[in-house]
Amino acid sequence: MNFEIDPEWAWREYSPDNETPWNLRTASHLFRRLGFGASQKDLDAALQRKPSELVDDLLNINEPVDFQREMKSLADSALATGNVKQLSAWWAYRMLASPAQALEKTTLFWHGHFATSAEKVTEGQLMLTQNELLRRYAFGDFSQMLLEISRDAAMLIYLDSATNRKAHPNENYAREIMELFCLGEGNYSETDIRELARCFTGWEVRRGEFRFNRFQHDTGTKNILGKSGDFGGEDGVRIVLEQKSAPEFLVSKLIRYFVMDEPAASRELIAPLAKEMRESGMKIRPVLRRILTSQLFYSPLAIGRKIKSPVEMAIGLLRSLEGTTNSFELAESLQQLGQGLLYPPSVKGWDGGRTWINSSTLLGRSNLVRDLITHEKTRFGRTSLKQYLASQKVTQPRAIIDHLEERLFAVAIPEAAKDRIARLMAAASGKAIVEGLHALCTLPEFQIA
Amino acid sequence: MRNSSRRSFLRHASAGTAVLTFGGIAPKALQAAAMAQKSERILVVIELQGGNDGLNTVVPFADSAYQKLRPKLALKKDDLLTISDGLAFHGSLKGFADLLEAGQLAVIQGVGYENPNRSHFESMDIWHTCQRKEETRTDGWLGRFFEKEAAVAGTDPAALHLGADKQPFALMSRTVRTPSIRSLEQFRLQGADDADFRKAVQELADAKRGGGNDLLDFVQTSTSSAIAASERLSGAASKATTSVVWPTSPLADQLQTVARLIRSGLTTSVYYVTLNGFDTHSQQPDVHAALLRQLSDSVKALLDDVKEQGQSERVAVMCFSEFGRRVEENASDGTDHGTAGPMFIAGAASQIHSGLIGDHPKLNDLKDGDLKHHTDFRQVYAAVIEKWFQTPSSEILKGTWTPTPVFRS
Repeated sequence: MNFEIDPEWAWREYSPDNETPWNLRTASHLFRRLGFGASQKDLDAALQRKPSELVDDLLNINEPVDFQREMKSLADSALATGNVKQLSAWWAYRMLASPAQALEKTTLFWHGHFATSAEKVTEGQLMLTQNELLRRYAFGDFSQMLLEISRDAAMLIYLDSATNRKAHPNENYAREIMELFCLGEGNYSETDIRELARCFTGWEVRRGEFRFNRFQHDTGTKNILGKSGDFGGEDGVRIVLEQKSAPEFLVSKLIRYFVMDEPAASRELIAPLAKEMRESGMKIRPVLRRILTSQLFYSPLAIGRKIKSPVEMAIGLLRSLEGTTNSFELAESLQQLGQGLLYPPSVKGWDGGRTWINSSTLLGRSNLVRDLITHEKTRFGRTSLKQYLASQKVTQPRAIIDHLEERLFAVAIPEAAKDRIARLMAAASGKAIVEGLHALCTLPEFQIA
Repeated sequence: MRNSSRRSFLRHASAGTAVLTFGGIAPKALQAAAMAQKSERILVVIELQGGNDGLNTVVPFADSAYQKLRPKLALKKDDLLTISDGLAFHGSLKGFADLLEAGQLAVIQGVGYENPNRSHFESMDIWHTCQRKEETRTDGWLGRFFEKEAAVAGTDPAALHLGADKQPFALMSRTVRTPSIRSLEQFRLQGADDADFRKAVQELADAKRGGGNDLLDFVQTSTSSAIAASERLSGAASKATTSVVWPTSPLADQLQTVARLIRSGLTTSVYYVTLNGFDTHSQQPDVHAALLRQLSDSVKALLDDVKEQGQSERVAVMCFSEFGRRVEENASDGTDHGTAGPMFIAGAASQIHSGLIGDHPKLNDLKDGDLKHHTDFRQVYAAVIEKWFQTPSSEILKGTWTPTPVFRS
């Protein structure tokens, strides 16, 4: 019963054919995974491109200078309030408004990977600095990102490593860089942790800045992962990253985030991409391109094989319908659903997959949809949902359902369910669209991406 | 505190007396009787996340090694609540000390497992699943326990998880879905006051999909039980009141919800709550003191509340953490990840063997600077399953474990 995916088949470049055509469904799939969802305009444009060209477009698009300037000014205003929750709202707004949604989606991946919570860091500026670091390197050089995150003030404060003296090295960062950031549990020993912790002695945070305190650095010989020498922190990071398991660990996490929750990718499936990632000097964009242009990515093993995160669910609903809303309340709701931006639950980030789902979060998701579509601040294409849909030439219950299904659903809704919702809408008269969209978004199918 | 009276019920040696399991040998009729009795019993699990410093919880204050390895963090005798000659509770554990005095608290010392893992996540998974990473882990020990109990359609859920965090692996099951609720108020579906809407979404969620997509099937059964449970709970506890003065803390709020649900007559047998923040790598003293106070005051209030309800004998509370902490303190006024630590089981004096169970791990016999365990956590689970819930435990625990003598039954 051990089902194996053939790597040779999986990573070959997808080219549309009768079985898997390049159409609204496959293009929406790409936007849902490498972004948060596509509007009608995005989809129309996408179908004029080849899939691999579109992936390149998405991975290479730069944020316009005007957009960056607006985001900078909004971030400054958020920080000025002294309430870090405002910065969380700022990021939700950025996700909604960004013309470079692949970049936001990938930055969110790294936020979950190098999870750091404002709950403990408390200083908004430090969270913003880290967020910008993650965005700057999102598609770039993992080695450089890792080195910088190892000296990032928010990270060190979060992991209690803001002081690290040679007499009593603090093991926390040494443990997590191997367990959660690079290698995965089981690919190092407890001795490696203790020795690596000695490398980081003298690394400190003072007044929000990284500082090396040479008086507190242990200059003795360390033995880490088979290497021996008078290593400093930079050496420690380099040695960890040189391990064979490093690209394997990262590729497996990328596959889980962008391709499928289950099953976990096998060693054989990971191997070719891990090799390429190592050969490219640990560059992120090439490996992402390989994943997103692959046959596996457009196959039934990937489409509809992820559970939407709260962010994917809510931002996706809004982006697909050109929606805007009150970002602060949206960010609060995301937190209640288990995905507070800048507030991951632990250094392990979000486990994702089935762990998103329980009775409380399912009711919460359904309630959030209702709140969003009935909120006075919510607009769709700058107007009401009814007028927006009318502008797309859909007005009758069944037509509305079909229209929304095509844009919002990765898996087909059973015919009987569509009939039932159409009846509900017909009976609801004035509230038909609210009741209909709410019922659609309460369907199990809606939680699947 | 009267030490002499306390000593009389202290020390139930954890010697491995062979214990015959009731469910395993009993004839069918007796089993049925046991089932009926079992369904009345309730377990409240409190997970202490982050690795509780057991050494500063049940403190060997008189041990010179303790003073030596913890020059800054060692607690002084005068600040502690004495349990026995050399052992005392952290001064914040007033509630626990009162429970011990009243014969309502078992302190199981030196609990851990072979070849300890010091990763929070891996160690927690081991506690939750009773399996190591090398094995395929699909469900948790409590999830497997729920599968043993015959599910009766339309009744209350076997377990409830309270809290905003993700559902504990311990509750995962292939067939039984445990609801998670943040608060009773938030556990209702908007728009459900409209009967047509409520009926429609319930029907739509109940219909089996069967397209071969496991994730979709999982979401479908989860949605179906969520809507049903919300319906059932929405009125369940609204009128419950108590004269017990509850402390104000996140854990107390959750346990008070548990007390209200018990009072409302829910047949749920396991409630699961978590208290986070025990990962005290730095600035440990104040943080740890506040957490322990929150824990012990809340547990005391819960037991007082169920006593007032006349339901004491039905309720047992179990506290655990994924590991204890390193014996030697670090440079940041904190402690790093360690191994063995104490577990606590609280309940009615008529139901549990109150007092210390097993010796405190020796500070002069460490492994890699960490305490050695002498009791496996699965022995405590075995006591809960076999003695408290009267159910055979070996399949649930993936092995046969001698129950720790915690329960009188």
